[in-house]
Amino acid sequence: MSTKPRVSSAIPEQTPNFGSALAHQPGLAEAFGKLYATFWGSNELDHRTKEITRMRNARVTDCGF
Amino acid sequence: MSWLTKEQSEYPYDDVLGIRPELRDLYRNFYGKLWDDELVPVNLLELCRLRIAQIHECDTEWEVRHSEAGISDEQIQKLQNWEGNQLFSPVEQAVLRFAEKMPWQHHEITDKDFETMRAHLSEPEVVALTVACGLFDANCRLRIALSVKQGKKETKAPAGAEQAIR
Repeated sequence: MSTKPRVSSAIPEQTPNFGSALAHQPGLAEAFGKLYATFWGSNELDHRTKEITRMRNARVTDCGF
Repeated sequence: MSWLTKEQSEYPYDDVLGIRPELRDLYRNFYGKLWDDELVPVNLLELCRLRIAQIHECDTEWEVRHSEAGISDEQIQKLQNWEGNQLFSPVEQAVLRFAEKMPWQHHEITDKDFETMRAHLSEPEVVALTVACGLFDANCRLRIALSVKQGKKETKAPAGAEQAIR
């Protein structure tokens, strides 16, 4: 894993992060935002289950971000 | 795919996602944007998609072919051994080097991999390609986990906002 971001921020005065890097592709960022928000906003699967699986997946893939 | 009881169309992966239609439609829009808007040259997208399918041994993803991506049969035959092969241009080799680390070697992606891609592609293109490779990887994992099977499919594009995911 690199110690420095590999892409710049597309949002002025913001440090590079997932959102500001994705902002290089605004249409893609918007489409992702809608999908992810709908996923988290829906109640078919409870929040606790979603959060546990998200955290476990981050651990398994060794994603410290 | 024995567990899906609803009637299936010729696009079983799309059918499975359609059990949650609102999420399926938003996913179509997200994944489809890569292809609809050609955020990265389509030959690069297609080569990365196929190489990731090959690494996952995901037959259902592998069997989908983008008929207008400009990939030759010879390139497909040699895709496993692309490195240093003149059938693949320098930019194709650059993106393949990056893409094939996405499934199992994502921690081995280097700054140099990005610098090599940036020699050929703009920063927005590199961002789109990174998202694309993440989605190609995810699609293979979903297809395998859900046990979605289908026959060979030649299609204008693997996805689009207004079409079923192939």
